[in-house]
Amino acid sequence: IPEVTINKVELAPLQSNRQSSRWTEKLKKEMYIRQLKVEKKLSIAASQMTLEGQPKVKTKVKLKTKVKKKAKTKAKKSQKSPKATASASRNQSHAGPSSANTCHKPRDRSSQRKIMQQTIQSNLECLLYLQKPEEAEKLLLLYHSNPMKRKLLNVDAYNVVMRGWARKGCLHRVIHLLSMLESVSLRPNLDSYAVLLECMTQSQSSTKAIWRCVQHLKKDGFHVDELFQKCLFEGDEKEKVLKAIRIIQPDYQLPPPPKPEICKAALLKNFYSEKKMVSYPKLDFSVQELREHFQQQLEMELNSTITIESVESAKPLTPQAIKAREQLASFRAQWRGAILQALQKSKHNMSQVKTVSGHSVLYPYLCLLPDKEYVDIMMQTLNSLSPQGESLAVLARELGSKVYNKYLTQRKLHSGQFKKVQEIYENYIHLLAKDTQPSEYLPREYWEKLVAEAGYGPSLNLKDCSWPYVLLMRLGMYLLEILVHAVKVPRNTLNPRLPSKLIPVLYHIYSFRSSWQVGLIKPHPIFSQIVSDAAEAMLTFNSSAIPMLCPPVPWTSPHFGAFVLGDTKLMRYVDGAIQHQQLLDQCPQVNLHPVLDALNQLGNCAWKINQPVLDIIISIFNDKGNEKLDIPPPVSEAPKPPVSPSSSSALHKSQKHELLLCKKKAAEMHSLRMDALYKLSIANYVRDKVFWFPHNMDFRGRTYPCPPYFNHLGNDVTRAILLFAEGRPLGPKGLDWLKIHLINLTGLKKKNALQERLDYANEIMEEILDSADHPLTGRKWWMNTDEPWQVLACCMEIAKASRSPNPAAFVSHFPVHQDGSCNGLQHYAALGRDLIGAISVNLMPCSVPQDVYSAVAQQVEEFRKKDAEEGLRIAQVLEGFIGRKVVKQTVMTVVYGVTRYGGRLQMEKRLKEIEFPEEYIWEASHYLVKQVFNGIKEMFSATRDIQNWLTESAKLIAQSGRTVEWVTPLGLPIVQPYYRIRPTVLTCNMQNLSVKNSSNNNQKPDTVKQKNAFPPNFIHSLDSTHMMLTALHCFRQGLTFVSVHDCYWTHALTVDIMNKICRQQFVALHSQKILEDLSKFMLKHYCRYCFPDKESRALWQKKLMEQLSNVPKTGEFNLNKVIDSTYFFS
Amino acid sequence: GPGVLTRTLLNAGVRVVALESHPAFLSKLQSLENSLDGQLKVIYGDFFRLDPLVTGAVKPPAVCSDKLFEAMGIAAVPWRADVPVKIFGIFPQRKERNTLWRLLFILYECSSIYRYGRVELNIFISEKEYKVLTAKPGELRIYQALSVLWQAGCDIQLLHMEPWSSFLTNLKNGRLAIPKSTRLPNDHLCLVRLTPQQNLFTGGLKPANSATFIFMVKQCLTKPRSKLIDRLNSWSLDNADKLLKALEIPNYIETGNVYPEDYKRLFCALQNSSVFTESWFHDEVLESIRNINL
Repeated sequence: IPEVTINKVELAPLQSNRQSSRWTEKLKKEMYIRQLKVEKKLSIAASQMTLEGQPKVKTKVKLKTKVKKKAKTKAKKSQKSPKATASASRNQSHAGPSSANTCHKPRDRSSQRKIMQQTIQSNLECLLYLQKPEEAEKLLLLYHSNPMKRKLLNVDAYNVVMRGWARKGCLHRVIHLLSMLESVSLRPNLDSYAVLLECMTQSQSSTKAIWRCVQHLKKDGFHVDELFQKCLFEGDEKEKVLKAIRIIQPDYQLPPPPKPEICKAALLKNFYSEKKMVSYPKLDFSVQELREHFQQQLEMELNSTITIESVESAKPLTPQAIKAREQLASFRAQWRGAILQALQKSKHNMSQVKTVSGHSVLYPYLCLLPDKEYVDIMMQTLNSLSPQGESLAVLARELGSKVYNKYLTQRKLHSGQFKKVQEIYENYIHLLAKDTQPSEYLPREYWEKLVAEAGYGPSLNLKDCSWPYVLLMRLGMYLLEILVHAVKVPRNTLNPRLPSKLIPVLYHIYSFRSSWQVGLIKPHPIFSQIVSDAAEAMLTFNSSAIPMLCPPVPWTSPHFGAFVLGDTKLMRYVDGAIQHQQLLDQCPQVNLHPVLDALNQLGNCAWKINQPVLDIIISIFNDKGNEKLDIPPPVSEAPKPPVSPSSSSALHKSQKHELLLCKKKAAEMHSLRMDALYKLSIANYVRDKVFWFPHNMDFRGRTYPCPPYFNHLGNDVTRAILLFAEGRPLGPKGLDWLKIHLINLTGLKKKNALQERLDYANEIMEEILDSADHPLTGRKWWMNTDEPWQVLACCMEIAKASRSPNPAAFVSHFPVHQDGSCNGLQHYAALGRDLIGAISVNLMPCSVPQDVYSAVAQQVEEFRKKDAEEGLRIAQVLEGFIGRKVVKQTVMTVVYGVTRYGGRLQMEKRLKEIEFPEEYIWEASHYLVKQVFNGIKEMFSATRDIQNWLTESAKLIAQSGRTVEWVTPLGLPIVQPYYRIRPTVLTCNMQNLSVKNSSNNNQKPDTVKQKNAFPPNFIHSLDSTHMMLTALHCFRQGLTFVSVHDCYWTHALTVDIMNKICRQQFVALHSQKILEDLSKFMLKHYCRYCFPDKESRALWQKKLMEQLSNVPKTGEFNLNKVIDSTYFFS
Repeated sequence: GPGVLTRTLLNAGVRVVALESHPAFLSKLQSLENSLDGQLKVIYGDFFRLDPLVTGAVKPPAVCSDKLFEAMGIAAVPWRADVPVKIFGIFPQRKERNTLWRLLFILYECSSIYRYGRVELNIFISEKEYKVLTAKPGELRIYQALSVLWQAGCDIQLLHMEPWSSFLTNLKNGRLAIPKSTRLPNDHLCLVRLTPQQNLFTGGLKPANSATFIFMVKQCLTKPRSKLIDRLNSWSLDNADKLLKALEIPNYIETGNVYPEDYKRLFCALQNSSVFTESWFHDEVLESIRNINL
């Protein structure tokens, strides 16, 4: 501590020399006195800091040594670095076009720094929210006063503290902080000036002072207009700043909103320029209706959870269940009390202790919400715990993120952001409602226009306030410990003969794996028994698990869109990864427009429930389930162990084994049953409503609906109960498409032409009608098909349509699917212009669908024959065994980078299934996988070259210490998040947790993963691009369109149009020089720097450059043929 | 291997049954067998693949203990009787830990080789594993479940230490085959004798319930700095306080400071209380067995 003080005192004169011109002498003196006062407080604070928690200290130490090293080697550069970081951070907070391509190189190294900064920032933000600027300043000083730690501070950290003081109108504190900031050669950014001006309004400063402030602002190279264009405001901050400006410049007007930029991606040039002629399609709702829907959605999100009736509630109640429910209710009341008491006690202890324990860091985070909310969160976790238990890490993360989400909601409410979203949404409705003027804006554009027009008020983006993953886990562990210790149940609850001692409801136990152990939290069987007896009729979900009841908020930036209040990420990624977000923030926002617009388009599709099908499913679910129809039976139907497990020690090994198998089966059944229960209950809850699935994407751009349980990506059962809310007449060909779709769903007639499938459907019309009319009592034709529930739903639709007086006018809500045939290989074949390959995956027009698996099998059989003739034993043994089934899985997964090793295992499985002689299996599987690879090489020659080129390039990039990055033809930046992770150990009372934090220190790329995953990830980024292009163009034609990756859905009426667009866009996409562009991008990205100092590096660089420039040659397939290929998607 | 150990034993004049898992060495050994008039018997088999858990026929070099003992002509003797057979061997460095655990389970279960009585093991293991086996309570991070269970189960005797430098220990890639060790010294290969305790199955510990004992010890020592009383309480035990008092174990003790004998006494006492009869503990033990046997 004494050391710290000395540093501090030295600081003051130093800054007075340098900055004397900037601020008045008077202010400085005042500040100096204050600083001395602060030092006294500092000694207390510093002692707190040393105990802040071990893992943090560890990283800090590492960082320090690193910084030292850097300082030695790059002595010259070190002077510049603070400025560089300052500008980088500035760019981040006002992500705009100007920030593109800043500091690419140090990203990896900077990310660990970023985590530290994030921790400081979130601590400060937390204190700001709690309106404790003194505490925030204390914390800031801890870092500020230590020359090493100080490097972690950026302008934003100072700004947060200033904002805290500004809200209280303490101008001298704000000025004091400004000078502190300048004393460490940081420069105030726009935010700093905004805060200062706001505070000046608040404290009614003189015109002269404000004038001086604005002069400084200009001197620093900013413009007054920028304050309003780039800063994010909360509450009435914007008005206050404006008021200050108007004091010195009474006629000042807010700058006009920036002209919306137009995306220049080559593939969408027409899409964005032609748009002025096409108006956005209307939904079938009036403004008033949509407003009501929005209100419902808002209410749900404000409550953050929603409790809905379970579909099981239809079952009659047994007396046992009534008793168990009463018991549970009274226990819950007790537990609530116990948890609240434990929480308050623990918090009290924390606040009392001066030399604070490791938990003290958490204290402010435990004050963000009312105590009751924390208790609610813990009770939710308790109620949803499965009888098999859950790992500590999962529970801790769940608890931590629930607190975070609630806090975020609170912040949005307090900052006025929520109110503004509400206002803008009410206007946004006008774009969609049927009783308004048509408008040619896209949802994103319309929203942006409304925001610009609103002008005043808080910003819609909150200032970045995410919590570091480690902190989230620590908070979660703290809550979990309280839960485990506080919740108890009398031991004799179920067996009155036992003594009535209280025992814990949750116990902590380790499960041992080969070289590591997992800590689990399991509920005591007494608790599980009561819960199961009670068969509770209500289920509680996070509001984000329910489909939205109004059209989603359009994505307008990586930080804003989807749910109204709930925080949704534009890109899904593993916990703790920050690379993707950084990349999205750094890229020019206009480049993201196509992706955002595609997501908005997918999210704007309205859905409703197919009620008759849902009712049938629920009736089977509530009866005994049906494994064959994929309706999971209740656990009561699980196989019973032959012996009672009264005392396991007396059991034989085989009996134990059997017992275990039964238990395992029961556990599996339970989780399947619960999953189905959730899906069906949510479906049942929205059965009379229209709803929407907001979408986001994974890091390759593949899109997913956000609500996790019930969505159109689900299994056959869930897909069968979904219908488009919008209905369209079938038109002349619609009924035929429904019939073809039906046959596609059955899995029959795969090799037949469309006409033959249609003929077949007409042939079996009687069966179809019987299935539709008597699904459970008739001949049950639908049950023996590939996708029985969708088949049933389709039968019903066909029945209704065909019986209507004019089928062409029949209004259908039914989605018809078109599937890509082996979509990965289609993209490869198109990339490589492989003629034979292209034919086999239906890129070429053919009269009947081609089957790539059969083709490969044929090729392999040819190889085998030749080998057998030459006397190869294994080839002779394999005679008659090679078929489509044997090769299918391997061919399918070749696209996704299956290796020989994995391929052989697949072969082994297949051979065992067809009862191939066991003694030859090993040899045969080896031989087969080799021949399948050869076969593919023969048919898709360029494909293999491309795969190898991608793999090899990725290997060299990863070996040079960088991660593989690329940009999709639509402009989405992608980075592969595979690193060699060193887990951080979180020390907690109950157990130490090893947290795999991929943005942790020392991230080196995982070469093997980077290399093996690149080809499939690249192909996925292409298939997602194709889907998005199709989505955007479909919408221009007024089609309803959704997708399940490479399966596209639309109305029966519009299948033909969708098919056309799908093919056109595929051709357009692959007419781009995709590989050349990739090569160019990578050369620019990875071969920019020269290393004159190191010869080895230079050699390396040369090798990489050669590899990247050496783009594989392609074949002579004429891409335009795709346009006429019927079976390309079918 | 080349038979150095075998020859040494033969020179000492004892009858030797040699298990050889690699065909390359087998022929040399077999010719030695033929030249020795019954003092040596060579079997194609791998001691470290004894009684594999897979169902179906056992394929050599995996061996079945009953076939092996039949071939050796050794019959089972009661537990308290003398050592029926001595086994010598060198543990493969990579599988050392696993092998030690597997042996523990069969020891406590009285299955496999221990079905024939208190088989004495004379094994070469690395110094670091030896240190773990013989670690004392309080030696943080060295004293582990493995230490407790071996010490409770066997007399452990160090017969000889040989520096690694005496061995050719290079891998193909030129690196040392000796595992690195930071916490513990690892400069020697140790010949250790493990003789099962005559009184192992006394006071309530039985082969039938020993899995629970192993489970209990493992649970306790996963976090050696946690308090024993906290662990006991988390198993919803009545009067853990009283129990510890009766056993004269201080109630503030950390699990890493409890002696192996005390763990055994604790287990026997718990066996008499109601904890282990509660079903959830059973299930956990069962589950742990599944994980162990894999």
